[in-house]
Amino acid sequence: MPSWLRVFVFLALLLGGYFGLFALLGVVLERYFLLTGFGPDRAASAAQAMALGAEITLKLTLISGLAGLVIGVFAGMFRLSRRLWVRLPASFYIWVTRGTPLLVQILFAYNALPLLLKPLWPEAQQVLTPYWAAFIALSFNVGAYNAEVVRAGIQAIPKGQWEAAWSLGLSPADTMRFVILPQALRIVVPPLVNNVVALLKDSSLASVIALTELALSGQRIISATFRPVEVYLAVAAIYLLLTTVLTFFTNLLERRLQVAGR
Amino acid sequence: MKRWLIVLGLLGLAVGFAQVRTLDQIRRSGEIRIGTEGEFPPFNYFDEKNQLVGFEIDLGNAIAKKLGLKPVWITQAFDSLLIQLNQGRFDFVIASHGITEERAKAVDFSDPHYCTGGIIVSKKGGPKTAKELRGKVVGVQIGTTYMEAAQKIPGIKQVRTYQKDPDALQDLLSGRLDAWITDRFVAKEAIKERKLENTLQLGELVFQERVAMAVAKGNKSLLQALNQALADLMKDGTYAQISKKWFGEDVRCK
Repeated sequence: MPSWLRVFVFLALLLGGYFGLFALLGVVLERYFLLTGFGPDRAASAAQAMALGAEITLKLTLISGLAGLVIGVFAGMFRLSRRLWVRLPASFYIWVTRGTPLLVQILFAYNALPLLLKPLWPEAQQVLTPYWAAFIALSFNVGAYNAEVVRAGIQAIPKGQWEAAWSLGLSPADTMRFVILPQALRIVVPPLVNNVVALLKDSSLASVIALTELALSGQRIISATFRPVEVYLAVAAIYLLLTTVLTFFTNLLERRLQVAGR
Repeated sequence: MKRWLIVLGLLGLAVGFAQVRTLDQIRRSGEIRIGTEGEFPPFNYFDEKNQLVGFEIDLGNAIAKKLGLKPVWITQAFDSLLIQLNQGRFDFVIASHGITEERAKAVDFSDPHYCTGGIIVSKKGGPKTAKELRGKVVGVQIGTTYMEAAQKIPGIKQVRTYQKDPDALQDLLSGRLDAWITDRFVAKEAIKERKLENTLQLGELVFQERVAMAVAKGNKSLLQALNQALADLMKDGTYAQISKKWFGEDVRCK
């Protein structure tokens, strides 16, 4: 099989698996709610709402995890720069983001940011829906943690690698790009995965700004049915399922990278 | 309580930029944005089909229709609704806010759209009156008027606050609470929904409450229009019809 076809088949399977997972989840949830004594209508709508909430949670985690990776790599590199005007903003960003609770950051992104941006960008309040406000807060939050991980990875590369690259005539930027980063990123995969799994669980905090992700969709069902035990049990199980699926894929990735490294 | 403080602090930052729409500006856009919680059955909640429904939703839609505007519903956490109102995120709020002095300092209230009371709910044989609550543990939802009312009852051992009413109900059923104080309609709905008629009993009303819609402080043109629309609905029978549909009785203030 040519490599482009393999990539294509892989992506198609992934996409099919993604939608299949949530369709299956909906069916299983409906059974579960029927078993625990919900009426048929309520069981169907609760299952549907929770499957949708689970999808929003996963999607939000994936896109903010990706954005957080980019932010983290750059912030981590900038923190190690010799130039003060590069290093200082990165250090400041990491200091502020790591030093304040994610809950406050989410509330800030949704409630305060649009008003602060209003003079420059009048439509900010319409554009920053709960979803995008949560995306901004989560990606900047995980970015700061990633930055420290990336910094540790870069510092773990022996000095000899830099010296060897320089003696071959590579510029500092090229040394970073072609010699140091590829090695460093391989080292930091496990802690980065750890951050993404934590991010998936932390995304439940977005329920405070009424983003209907998994946690809030559960709370809404509880408020209408007054049954916290059954619903929270399902919510916890779905979080566990999502983190398990996530770690399954990242374990695959890790194994591949390991083989390539040998 | 802590969350409330955080939100308040953050918003203090931004108050200077607040922008609230007057009736003219709303008319020009053709849409009126209405804020509510969406987790308070039977007033505003998501039903079996996951649609936002309830007494207040029907009433809000009827008011928008009277004003010739298209309603746009926005659901947010109860404890931040009034703050976001003053920021201009919605034009008015209809979410079962009892009128209190403290709230009236922050927002302007319309004429009340229904009257209710905080009721004592306990297990069969438990406390039924405010006097019997002496030395007992009572649960309430945070940020509500029931919380304030419960804190004022003398002799209560402890007032526990919960994020949501169902959490308080659960603790009552598991025996961690002696009583739960909430809106009388919510209590009825909860007992009906979970079929707890044989387990729980309703006690006396600890206080009476007038419930109203709210607009941002000083938004007079909109307030007048809301009051007018509400009065018209009460006169032409629409209000009575909506009220009968949800409660089987007319819940307007007598």
